[in-house]
Amino acid sequence: MLTRRRFTQLAGMTSAAMTLGRGVRAQMKMPAGQPMPPPAPPIPANAPPADFTLDIAPYVLEASPKHRYPTVAYNGQVPGPLLRMKQGRAVTVDIHNRSADAEIVHWHGLFLPVATDGAMEEGSPAIAPGASTRVTFTPDPAGFRWFHTHTFAGNDMRKAQYGGQHGLLIIEPSEGSGATAYDREIVLALHDWGGREMPSADGSAMPDYEVATINGKMLGSGEPVRVKQGERVMMHVLNSSPTEVHWVALAGHTFHVVALDGNPVPQTATVPMLRLAPAERVSAIVEMNAPGVWVLGEVRKHVQAMGMGIAVEYANATGVAKWVQPQDLVWDYGQFAERSYFALPASPTGIDGPIEIPLTFDSKFEGHGNEEIWRINGKSYPEVESPPLVAGQRYRLAMKNLSIDDHPIHLHRHTFEVTNVGGAAMRGLMKDVLLIPAGRTSTVEFTANHPGNTLFHCHQQDHMDRGFMMVFRYA
Amino acid sequence: MAGGLVLVLLSFVPPVARAQGNYEIQVYGADTVEPKSLMVELHSNFTPEGQKYVIDGVYPTNHQEHETLELTAGLTSWSEVGFYVFTSEQAGHGVQWVGDHIRPRVRVPDSWHWPVGVSLSTEVGYQRAVYSPDTWTWEIRPIVDKTMGRWYFAVNPALERTWHGPDVNQGIGFAPGATFTYDVSKQVNLGLEYYADYCRITSPCGLHEQQQQIFAVTNLNVSPKWEINIGVGVGPTAATDHLIVKGILGRHFDWGHHSAVD
Repeated sequence: MLTRRRFTQLAGMTSAAMTLGRGVRAQMKMPAGQPMPPPAPPIPANAPPADFTLDIAPYVLEASPKHRYPTVAYNGQVPGPLLRMKQGRAVTVDIHNRSADAEIVHWHGLFLPVATDGAMEEGSPAIAPGASTRVTFTPDPAGFRWFHTHTFAGNDMRKAQYGGQHGLLIIEPSEGSGATAYDREIVLALHDWGGREMPSADGSAMPDYEVATINGKMLGSGEPVRVKQGERVMMHVLNSSPTEVHWVALAGHTFHVVALDGNPVPQTATVPMLRLAPAERVSAIVEMNAPGVWVLGEVRKHVQAMGMGIAVEYANATGVAKWVQPQDLVWDYGQFAERSYFALPASPTGIDGPIEIPLTFDSKFEGHGNEEIWRINGKSYPEVESPPLVAGQRYRLAMKNLSIDDHPIHLHRHTFEVTNVGGAAMRGLMKDVLLIPAGRTSTVEFTANHPGNTLFHCHQQDHMDRGFMMVFRYA
Repeated sequence: MAGGLVLVLLSFVPPVARAQGNYEIQVYGADTVEPKSLMVELHSNFTPEGQKYVIDGVYPTNHQEHETLELTAGLTSWSEVGFYVFTSEQAGHGVQWVGDHIRPRVRVPDSWHWPVGVSLSTEVGYQRAVYSPDTWTWEIRPIVDKTMGRWYFAVNPALERTWHGPDVNQGIGFAPGATFTYDVSKQVNLGLEYYADYCRITSPCGLHEQQQQIFAVTNLNVSPKWEINIGVGVGPTAATDHLIVKGILGRHFDWGHHSAVD
């Protein structure tokens, strides 16, 4: 990991780099004690045009004519652009930071080296305000991924993931990879806006929001999703909310889930609704067999009332979008896992079998007017200690959640296999985000096959800002 | 508005407002009770050292035990109404009904994003003359509060008006209350509460005639459903009961049907 001392040594090599580094530090809000990220290299003067360009710039989101939120977005839109890349084919992305803050772009769910993964805690470079950089990487694995800012918000609930810096990324499989057949592809991003700290049931403050959107619009304010009868529509749904879990349903229809977090599930299943924790993605086929105009929206009434919904309109159908209220919240990771898991060996062991890494999550009360400080094994980032990973070794993260909150944990640069969720054993489900239920122990396993600093954290912005992070280092 | 903070706010109880005497001793927080819910509170106040003589037909407060039932129902996300039943128990007088008050209250909605909590309550009620010479009274109470990390403060610059009784010609009285507390832990909150009555707001009475009380209090946040406040107060002026022990036990009830999808 790039320590502050090491950075000073590097920054001293050139005056230009040192100047940039100071700019980054001045513009990037960072928790105390966190190592300063290195400055991102500029785009070479004679570089050929990049495959993709991201402009990070101020933007005013109009969730509805009555709800406008100044934010920062990619390419002047929320969500950002849908980028399509080919698995295994190198791409270049030019990133121009026209915002007032140092920025960093995290390519969520990809197996990328530290230099391009986009997490300053790992040592990825940050882009100073007004600066530009070029990242080059080879996309892998295939599937529905996304990219987003990975900065510190603290108490400013317009910054970092509270804002509009999130975009969609589809890595198309390389030749020969099987793909699910469908007629139309739709991407939907769920988000919450206008957050502020409010008292919570557990005694500490937590974010509360004014507005919830799908693709940046409140229900009734955006264009409908237009479909035709008989189509098989692939819906890629992303929860880009900074902190909130969401349940969504499409009235009159069901979802046939084929992938979670972009990874094909061992067992496809048809479900009445989707549950997505922050940063989770679901890819599902919807058979368009009920002509009309329907609401695809949050199942919980108070969240749909905040705006989370979008109309799905069949060709030649008219009228007000219809909603059918489900009476319960239904979701189970296990239905997508291998059904014969109990007949399998305990674990696909690596070199020496999985090494268990116990992780205990809890929080420290900081007053009824403050959010808690979050801890892993009794310490908050950056003081959290982690064992070094050995390349090729398989590890089991045994996560004991002592808190009263569910936590969407995310492991950078790797995919893990879900092996137990709150006591329910399963196998074969590959993900990069998992909602760890409160008061229970859950386990995931992964093979350390992408050397380099690897960030592990709760994907709730307020939790990661308050210590719920750790960095695995390779030996 | 759920949560421990509400618990704390609701338990920051108030004053020796003359309208209620030593029946409900509480500094109000700005939050209101949620709609479709009811807060039931029992205020228990004992005066180990108070007025020992019958004055103008009013019973002495010394060794009086006051039990006050307070029912507060949420109307909207920004309004509530409270109803009080005051009782007194004392040797020689037994358990006596003292009076009733009603107290509507509104607050600044969360959506206004004010930096402090602000609400306004008004209270009207009757109390028997043997317990309070002013039998019909009215109070208007602005409330401002703020939580800053572990610290919390609230001020209640209450104004009072007597509609029937000896003070009917006094005009508007000024009876402020304030509290300042600290979260020692998630469950334990310690602080001070101050209550006063300066008589007429336009011409305050002398210190000797003012009511001044300071309570050391503990708020216990054992559950979002429960409210517990315990305090001991001293009154240094001649017009104030010199020692009062108070307690508030509250329970939050929710009669709305809340399914997982609400």
